[in-house]
Amino acid sequence: MEYIKSSWKNITMNKARTVLTMLGIIIGISSVIAILSIGNGLKSDLTGSLDDMVGGAVTININTKKTPKTLKNDDLMVIADAIPIIRGVTPNVTQYGISYYRREMGTRIFGGNTSSACEFDKGFYSGKYYTQDDVDSGNDVCVMSQTSALLIFGSTDVQGLQFELTINETTRILTVVGVVRSDEAELERFREIVKSGDIDYFYADIYVPYSLLSDKYNLGKDEFTSFQIYPMPGQADEAAAKAKTLAENILDLRGQGAVAIQSYASLMEMYANVLDSVTMVIALVAAISLLVGGIGVMNIMTVTVTERTREIGIRKSLGARTSSILFQFLVESSMISLFAGFIGMILGFVFSSVLGKLAEIQAVVHASDVAMVVAISVFVGIFFGIYPARRAATLNPVDALRAE
Amino acid sequence: MDTQTQKTTALVQVTDISKIYNPGENEVRALDHVSLTINEGEFVAIIGQSGSGKSTLMNMLGCLDTPTSGTYMLHGVDVSHMTDDEQSDVRNREIGFIFQGFNLIQSLTAFENVELPLIYRKVPRRQRHQLAKAALEKVGLGKRMDHKPGELSGGQQQRVAIARAIAQAPPILLADEPTGNLDSASSRDIMNVIHSLYEEGRTVIIITHDPGIAAQAKRIITISDGHIIDDKINPSIEE
Repeated sequence: MEYIKSSWKNITMNKARTVLTMLGIIIGISSVIAILSIGNGLKSDLTGSLDDMVGGAVTININTKKTPKTLKNDDLMVIADAIPIIRGVTPNVTQYGISYYRREMGTRIFGGNTSSACEFDKGFYSGKYYTQDDVDSGNDVCVMSQTSALLIFGSTDVQGLQFELTINETTRILTVVGVVRSDEAELERFREIVKSGDIDYFYADIYVPYSLLSDKYNLGKDEFTSFQIYPMPGQADEAAAKAKTLAENILDLRGQGAVAIQSYASLMEMYANVLDSVTMVIALVAAISLLVGGIGVMNIMTVTVTERTREIGIRKSLGARTSSILFQFLVESSMISLFAGFIGMILGFVFSSVLGKLAEIQAVVHASDVAMVVAISVFVGIFFGIYPARRAATLNPVDALRAE
Repeated sequence: MDTQTQKTTALVQVTDISKIYNPGENEVRALDHVSLTINEGEFVAIIGQSGSGKSTLMNMLGCLDTPTSGTYMLHGVDVSHMTDDEQSDVRNREIGFIFQGFNLIQSLTAFENVELPLIYRKVPRRQRHQLAKAALEKVGLGKRMDHKPGELSGGQQQRVAIARAIAQAPPILLADEPTGNLDSASSRDIMNVIHSLYEEGRTVIIITHDPGIAAQAKRIITISDGHIIDDKINPSIEE
């Protein structure tokens, strides 16, 4: 207690110097905290979107380098029927084209079967999904979201409207049979975008029967190297594994590794890993600035010891043991760095919440981070305080008393 | 005339002590085979010119330094070959220092300065406060306990130093030129305080170059070139 009191006195006696000494540690700690809390925020953002995806699609690919074999729509139907925890299986064909309704609009076309309706969980704004009959005959129909309707037509009330869709050289007239509900906020955003006319950077997404693409646009045949399954909620892993095994059986490719599951979960995991390594790199930078800050503390403590040589002599003559002097200076250096740690922590919080607001990330602060900061600060204080404190403690009292 | 009767216990018993700096070619014998006995309750002045070895002797007596050879028995315990920490404990327990330059810690108040040796002795807070207060009142500074040394006159600072020296009631008061930095009025004042402490039964050792100060002691030891050249009962104060 006495040590803390006297350390406090010495620290506050020379405020400017103390603040300058603390600067390095403040920068180090605040960047550690900012990085950690933003990193945590990003991660929980990611896991948040992952949760949304769990009920969503899992893509299964056939490696075209390992086998020329492909699956037919009928094979996919077999898979869908054989595995009860799968809600649907659809081919996965993506094309790019141009829609025309009073103006041109870049469009992504997703070809599938009726199961691809599972993609939409928000329900229909108007109309319904294309039917099995549409798939069988390759009818010129499509489904789109409200936002895509805005992009193509400038309105969401588009059920029954027709527009031209050109893929490569082929142009056909498609009828909108259903409009899928979009997120309200998203919709509002797109209204603004369409109003400003700044739509060049966007694609409209439309969903058509795969047979329309293969038969009418002459893009490929009923041969698929990629398909999507829609598992029951929470059973994605099991469903994907079963679908993969079944696909291997159908293709007679058991144990060759030619069929692979590409889930969003694994993509997200990869993303999270990248984020982790970025965090590590910045943590390293922060560690270096802590090191520099620590050396600053050591430097100033050495100066302090030299300045206070006489005081140390007096204390020794009054019966201070080596350990008392050592402890006194260690308390002082730890207090400096602990104090700097707290300031750095607060700055870090401020910094991360400002940055979080700008980047629309909810910065998350864990109690463990705070504990870590305290631990690091005290460690830095003690580690870099030991050398000057030992110098002070082992001074010869006669010489120390003689010092001016 | 320099043989003291042994009816009182020997408090300080220095036997054949030498201190040599820079051993080898240019060695300096600050103390050369010095022997000395001081009993409890004595008032001793050690007088000598600068460079005579009196400061070295004071460092030895104060357990601030260890001799090159010889032994120093303090209270019957050999303190000449102790570790630093053991010496610190002995200083804390046995010796109250009064220095020429006061040696107060500038950042602490008078009260906190007096408290210091008690902290190192691990006296409980409450008792510590009482002792420090009593010591300051004894030297007449009861009203200036919260002043820092810079706010006190030289004489007052030396009183604080005396309060610090006596707060823990050590058997020996070791004063090194206690009036060296003071004007004559303050000097008289400080010497009066020291006298009264002696009269209370404390052993007082004053190191000085000033014959006027030395003349106030009961026993005067003269040191020159590292040797004790004279050790006598002060003839002028024969009761």
